[in-house]
Amino acid sequence: MDRLTVAMLVSAAAFAQDAEEGRVLYHRACTACHGQDGTAGDRGPALAARRRYLRTTEKDLFDSIKHGIAGTLMPASPLPDADVRKIVAYIRSLRSAAIDAPPLPGNVERGREVFQTKGRCQTCHMLNGQGGILGPDLSSIAQERSAAFLRDALTKPKPHAPLGYQPVTLVTNDGERIRGVLKNEHNFSLQVLDEAGKLRLLARDEIRGIEYSEQSLMPSAYDRTLSPDEFRDLMSFLTRQGRQTR
Amino acid sequence: MNRLLFLLVAVSSAQVTYDHLLKADPKDWLTYQGAYDAKRHSLLKQIDTSNVRNLSAAWIYSIPGASRLESVPVVVDGVLYISQPNEVYALDGRSGRVIWEYRHQPALRKGPNRGVAVYGNKVYVGTPDAHLVALDARTGGLVWKAKLAEARDGYWSPAAPLAIKGKIIAGIAPGDHGLNGFLDAYDAETGERLWRWHAIPKPGEPGNETWAGDSWKTGGGDTWLTGSYDPALNLLYWGIGNPAPDFDGDVRKGDNLYTESMVALDADTGKLKWHFQFTPHDVHDWDAVEIPVLVDAPVNGETRKLLVQANRNGFYYVLDRTNGKFLHGSPFIKQMNWASGLTPEGRPIRVPGVEPSIQGTRTCPATSGATNWHSPAYSPETGLFYVSMMEGCGINYKSRDTFRPGGVSFMATGYVEDPEAPWQTYVRALELTTGKIRWEYRQVGSKRYGAGLLSTAGGLIFAGDDQGVFTALDAKTGKALWHFNTGRQITASPITYSYKGKQYIALAAGSNVVAFALQQ
Repeated sequence: MDRLTVAMLVSAAAFAQDAEEGRVLYHRACTACHGQDGTAGDRGPALAARRRYLRTTEKDLFDSIKHGIAGTLMPASPLPDADVRKIVAYIRSLRSAAIDAPPLPGNVERGREVFQTKGRCQTCHMLNGQGGILGPDLSSIAQERSAAFLRDALTKPKPHAPLGYQPVTLVTNDGERIRGVLKNEHNFSLQVLDEAGKLRLLARDEIRGIEYSEQSLMPSAYDRTLSPDEFRDLMSFLTRQGRQTR
Repeated sequence: MNRLLFLLVAVSSAQVTYDHLLKADPKDWLTYQGAYDAKRHSLLKQIDTSNVRNLSAAWIYSIPGASRLESVPVVVDGVLYISQPNEVYALDGRSGRVIWEYRHQPALRKGPNRGVAVYGNKVYVGTPDAHLVALDARTGGLVWKAKLAEARDGYWSPAAPLAIKGKIIAGIAPGDHGLNGFLDAYDAETGERLWRWHAIPKPGEPGNETWAGDSWKTGGGDTWLTGSYDPALNLLYWGIGNPAPDFDGDVRKGDNLYTESMVALDADTGKLKWHFQFTPHDVHDWDAVEIPVLVDAPVNGETRKLLVQANRNGFYYVLDRTNGKFLHGSPFIKQMNWASGLTPEGRPIRVPGVEPSIQGTRTCPATSGATNWHSPAYSPETGLFYVSMMEGCGINYKSRDTFRPGGVSFMATGYVEDPEAPWQTYVRALELTTGKIRWEYRQVGSKRYGAGLLSTAGGLIFAGDDQGVFTALDAKTGKALWHFNTGRQITASPITYSYKGKQYIALAAGSNVVAFALQQ
């Protein structure tokens, strides 16, 4: 390991520590307006939502907490600078990919077991070359998504099946019935991954009928179908899937 | 010697005169919209509903370093001029072979660029460093350049200029940075500025009272898309962009003229003749720059000179273009929640509470709009107005922002796609004076608009989508008759021209320029 790598690992560990302490401070000082874990509060914006942020740099976030934001309800914080920095680290961790945030509590190995057994995740999801293909490959999911996103995916009903994963049933002009997920479509062609795992390439005038299921195949109540410990372990496992940032 | 003299005479005769522009011979495509009335309807009909199935790619030219072109080609005698930021290309319209290219310096990285103008023997283009540049149409050599504004202030010029009567009209961007807009006219020969019209009135001028306090100073209101022109009335019609800060209206109370307006300017003097404001005090960034289409048609039994526009705010408007009087307005989208209708004067009746908030407010249409820069078309043969548009909502947020000079975003936050309702694009055909939807073509799987429309006397509407599919629709019914996968998201409008008796359809798709013709 060269010196730069060591320095980066040390600073990542320090960031994780700051973010964890920042989380405690945040929940004391900020939730009234900004909501739990940066979701949304009554008076302030969600700090970890899917939106563009005006303030993203460490300095901008530090300044708005330290000095408040003129013309808004955001007050200047009386906390010492060191604590403000910890809150900034926490807010930034909310917006970062799971792998870059402090590890969640839980047992990663037990989480793997839940993934493979009771959760039945591997029926649809590939992990490092093992598993199903109807859902997205999760081998590096923690690099692509935040912990909050993963939690939502496991616990919240989806209003629409995501692009590339919508279940469809269609009947060809020959009378063949094909069930699978729609990988892509436009006015003239469809690309369907069928139940047998075969890619079916179809012109729209080759099909007699198509039924789209709005419901995603992804279950949405893992926080209820798993025990609290199992759910925590599964989250711990998923948020480590990917190469550690170096 | 005699032969050389002949050559000199030949090259000094102007390629494109004002008469040419007025006549708009269908073999050429002489302006951004093809003709001053911006109908985008070509009289060429070699390609029609009966043979369009035999349309094939004739050539492809890949513009080096391009990403998503929004440029519309201009064609003169078979030579096709197309731009991207800092660059102009002259191509052989028959083979796609490059004739010359021009590279502007300094090459600031700002885009897009939407095209060029031609006049005399020159090609004109706006640049990312806020200049208007005149090039020799035969060689690409630089003839003159005029400074529109200071690039270091953040200004730049994306719109295709418009050539009229010895003048080149040029607009400016971006209002989102709190930089006030204007429209300029330059002498086509010398580059001398002839007039400037300011989109935001100064204290003492009519309209300044629609801005609280000093908010007019950073009011925005830019001119980033090409307008249209009525030679008989000698009026230029130009849509004006959004007020700044975009999403926080509290700091700029009032109607904020002339943002979100259509303005009619005297082409000789740049003086304002009339204005019509579509979205007074806009807080959703619904620039009103969409193409004003000029049509003469009967309204209540009397032929009127009309200006019609499908606005980003979701309403389709019919105005009297002699005086700006509102004649009709109706939504051309089904998902609209910010206004319940329009008053008899054409002012939106707002639904209380549908404005950006700290928490986020569901707003339909989304900020990206029911439609945007890509061109609509009108066919005199069907009497239908065709618009490429989007159904969908956004979640709009606001905060308090501070103006910072130098071209820094001054939007007071923004919007995201409503996760509950995915966006969907359509081509819709509207009855000209009632706005009633006659047919629609749903672009399956497409959610980002950007491809404009072309109407031809062959009874066809050409449309593209975000998946790169270029489609010919029956202008009467909306039925798809032909399609081609260009392979890249289409964010520009198609054109048509003919050379040596052969009709071509051309457009920019992704980084490529693609031309189509009937198979021999």
